This record gives sequence, C-alpha cells and structure tokens, in this order.
Amino acid sequence: MNQWEVYVNDVKELAEDAEIELTIRTLNPGIHKFTYKRVRAQLSSDLKKHADQLQVRLGRGQLSPSRFSIKVLGEIQRMPAKYL
Amino acid sequence: MAAPRSNREFIEACVKSGDAVRIKQEVDWENEAGAIVRRACELAAPAPFMEKIKDYPGFSYFGAPLSTYRRMAISMGMDPASSLPEIGKEYVKRTNGEPVAPVLVDRKDAPCKENILKGADVDLCKLPVPLVHEGDGGRYVGTWHAVVTKHPVRGDVNWGMYRQMMFDSRTMSGAVFPFSDLGKALTDYYLPRGETCPFATAIGLSPLAAMAACAPSPIPEPELTGMLAGEPVRLVKCETNDLEVPADAEIILEGEICPDYKVEEGPFGEYTGYRTSPRDFRVTFRVNCITYRNNATMTISNMGVPQDEGQLLRSFSLGLELEKLLKSQGIPVTGVYMHPRSTHHMMIVGVKPTYSGVAQQIGQLAFGSKLGPWFHMVMVVDDKTDIYNWDEVYHAFCTRCHPANGIHIYRNSPGTPLYPFATPHERKYSIGSKVVFDCLWPVDWDPVNDVPTVVSFKNVYPKEVQEKVMNNWTAYGYPPVK
Ligand SMILES: Cc1cc2nc3c(=O)[nH]c(=O)nc-3n(C[C@H](O)[C@H](O)[C@H](O)COP(=O)(O)O)c2cc1C
Repeated sequence: MNQWEVYVNDVKELAEDAEIELTIRTLNPGIHKFTYKRVRAQLSSDLKKHADQLQVRLGRGQLSPSRFSIKVLGEIQRMPAKYL
Repeated sequence: MAAPRSNREFIEACVKSGDAVRIKQEVDWENEAGAIVRRACELAAPAPFMEKIKDYPGFSYFGAPLSTYRRMAISMGMDPASSLPEIGKEYVKRTNGEPVAPVLVDRKDAPCKENILKGADVDLCKLPVPLVHEGDGGRYVGTWHAVVTKHPVRGDVNWGMYRQMMFDSRTMSGAVFPFSDLGKALTDYYLPRGETCPFATAIGLSPLAAMAACAPSPIPEPELTGMLAGEPVRLVKCETNDLEVPADAEIILEGEICPDYKVEEGPFGEYTGYRTSPRDFRVTFRVNCITYRNNATMTISNMGVPQDEGQLLRSFSLGLELEKLLKSQGIPVTGVYMHPRSTHHMMIVGVKPTYSGVAQQIGQLAFGSKLGPWFHMVMVVDDKTDIYNWDEVYHAFCTRCHPANGIHIYRNSPGTPLYPFATPHERKYSIGSKVVFDCLWPVDWDPVNDVPTVVSFKNVYPKEVQEKVMNNWTAYGYPPVK
C-alpha cells in the first residue's frame, strides 16, 4: 500500500470513479518522501476500494478531513522530451 | 576581526561568541529541523547548528543564520554588540566604495567540488532537503542561497535569493517574481525565445554572499560581496555550464530553467508571517549536476512571524538602499529605518521638512524604485523624531498625520503575491497599492503660533532643570535609570 497526498483548492475537484489527472506526492517513508508525480488516477471515498490511500491538503496547506482510496493508472510526462 | 569567508568560518565564529549552538542529537529533516529554526527565530535564540540529520549521515544544517543583529555584526567582522545604526553605517561605508572584482580559482582549490554527481546519479533527495513547515507544498532546497545566472545580452551576473521547492529528484519550482532581475531576464529574453536559461544554485554561502544575494543593490552581487568583505570573493567554474559559483559554498546545483515546462510550487511559509501566495505554476529549474563539500552543511531560513532573516536582513538592506537613493536625489533625509517587525512593509523616513510635498516626493521615489514592490507603507517624520524609537514614531503618526490631508494612496502599483491583505486577484497578478503617511507639520503653518509644542521632559524644561532632576533622581527616591 502506498500513501499519497494531493493539494486542491476545493475537495470537489476530486471526482470519484472517473479517470482524472492529479499531481500527487508520495508520503511513503524514506528519502524520496514528498516528491511529486503527475498521474492519471481513479479515486473513491470507499477507503477499501483501492489499495493506495490519498490524503488531501487545501490551498494554504490545511489538512482536509476528506480521505480517498486511489488507483494510479499511469504517470503523465509533462516535461517536453528534449529535457529527458 | 575579519569577516567570515565561508559558512564554516561563520558557524565557528557564532559558536565561539555564543550566537550558535551545536545540536549533537539526531534531528528529523521532516518538520523537526524547521521547528527548531522557527523557535530560535521567535526567541531570538542562538542559531542552531544541527550536526546529525536523520537519513543523511555526513550532512548538517545551519538554521536562522542572520536572524539577529548580533549575527549580522559577526558576519561583517564587527563586534557582536554593535548597535544597528553602527552596523548600518558600516554597510553604507563599504557599499559606497569601489567594486571589488571576484577572483577565479582552480577546481582543485574549490571545496565545493569535493563530491560531484552527474547523469543518472543526480538526485536532489540525496541532499537533506528539509520540510521546513508542516503543510508546505514541498521540501525546500533553496531557503538561504543564491541562484546564479548571467544576463544573455549584457553578460552581467546576477545572484538572487529566490525560493526553490523540490518537485522531484531532478526538478525544482521557484518563485521568481517578474520585477526581480532574473524575472526580467526570463520574461524579456528566454520565455519569448523558448530558450533554456543556465543557472546554478549555491547553498551554504558565506554570510556576506548571502546578504548580497538578497540585497536590492544595483551593484552585481559578486562585486558587492567583495565590497562588504573587503576582499575578492573566490569563484570557480561550473561543471556543466559556463557560470561561476562561490568556491567555498557547501552545495552547488547546476542546471537550466525550462521556459516551456511548468510544475506547481507552494504554498510556503513566508516572511509576512503567513502562508499567503497561492500554489501556482512558477519557474521550473531542471538539475543536471550536484557538487558538494565533504560533510556539507545545508543552510535553512525558516520564514514566519518575526523575526527571521527575511524580515531582519531585508528591512536592513531595503532601508539603507532607500536612504542612498533619496540622498542621491538631494532629498534632505536624516535617516531611513524599517522595523523588522513590520515584516519589511513600512519604511520610516526622517527628513528636514524644508519644503512642501517632501513626504509625497519621498513616497513616489520609494514606490517608483526597484525596491518599491517589497513594501507598501512609507511614514515620513521630521528630523527631531527618533526613527529607531517606535514609541516616538507612533506618537508622531497618531498625532501629526492628518486623516484627510496626510494620507496619500496610490493604486495599481507593483506588488507581490505575498501580501496578506491583497485580494486573490491582486495576488495572482502581483498588483499592489501603496500609502504614504505624512507626519510632518505643514510648511505653511506659522511655526510659532500654529505648530503645537511637544510636551516632553527633554523638550519643555530648561537644560539646567533637566540636569538637576536627572542628577537628583535617586535622591528623590527613584531607582537609577538604565
Ligand atoms: C530568505 C529570503 C527568501 C526570499 N525569497 C524570494 C523569492 O522566493 N522570490 C523573490 O523574487 N525574492 C525573494 N527574496 C527577495 C530577493 O532575494 C531580493 O529581492 C533580491 O534582491 C533579489 O534580487 P533581484 O531583485 O536583484 O533579482 C527572498 C529574500 C530572502 C531574504
């Protein structure tokens, strides 16, 4: 199980059971904690639906009580290929 | 006492004078180190030198490097007990001299080259990048550092302290405001052409190099550092681009700013004492190479409520640079002071009020200058008011500033996304507004019959009476006045 975190201005941005794009950071312990990825993912407020868990922070860093389970479907590469 | 030439010499001097403490027990890079630095700032305590960091053997942290005037005096090679006006006078003296050109040293004489990571080995997570405040949008690599760039046409070198967040192992996102030197080079040149801008971030600088990187001076920072230190700064060539970086810095990141790749940055605890600026797509830095000293020390500035170096040092240099500017324009100023507790938002200017409208002239020059976006209040008092004494300034403000005639407001001026009072729209577009508080008696008032007399011990009693009362003070039964 992986722990993830996302920043949003409004929890309503987190549509459930649809494929959405998110910038999430890992909360798994270790030196890479808090590094980000852009991903395609599916969310559910049923915490058992997907194996990974997602917690939410709002615009100024406040931790939201909303929690989701998340399935990361794949990584999105926003960086132009010339920098890879 | 010579000014410390490196962060290491500075730490040593601070430990010796009791202005830094060595913390031997292990400290967590996630929140704990940040919380120690924050508390030290709020208590004006010695700077923490944290020698053991969880997950990062061999690295250390030095926090709150210049958040007291004592440490600022040490950084200039002065007696730690020097007063603020003394430190200010020294700064003005040194920065009014001839520029001191840097010297280029060989790689083998540059401690920052002791370890070099290139290619697949580059991973910012190999450095103890701290999570400075709980809830921050990321771990911040650059909180007390210099981003080194060179102007693509003019060739002049810029060192600027622009915060940098680690986005992933090779990417940072930073807040480079559009009115800063780097911001202007990006919007004037690199962005329209879609060209990458080479950069290097130097962390763990000598305190005077760091001071230069966040000083709003027109003098190029390597020369300014030399002027402040009284000797040339030692530079060395980068590994992967043609920039030059301070040879004695602890850590160097080399790379390029990508004009066509944006990642999110923030939120972050800021010098205003709030997390204000929204998470946004800002400037993206791609790292290609990391070099660092053995046992490298990462420097941390933890901005929040007063007082940290964001307030103390910026108030200091903004005030002194404004004083130089006003004097260069022949304004009869007697001093300029920014109280750090204003989170560098209020300039207090003392002036001989010899002609009408001088307060507005000062305000317009201040707000119209390069310094202007960083503060929004200018309070002008006369030369008899002690600008360093807030009680006197506050009294002048509350009694002499005419509510209808003495307050002058300017709208739609340059601002920053960091102003806590700004509307969300103003923050997004860096729109500011400004105010001048004119606390001068109008020059068209009859000085004898219209200007009120200050009723104070030092102003209304004859000198001999004052002296008699002071000499007899303990005889009257009072404890001595310190
Ligand atoms: C601790 C600290 C952090 C700062 N962070 C930023 C920042 O993120 N972005 C910015 O534009 N200025 C920041 N500043 C202010 C700049 O360092 C300052 O304006 C400096 O003069 C920049 O140089 P320039 O305007 O000549 O480019 C910071 C200053 C300090 C002391």
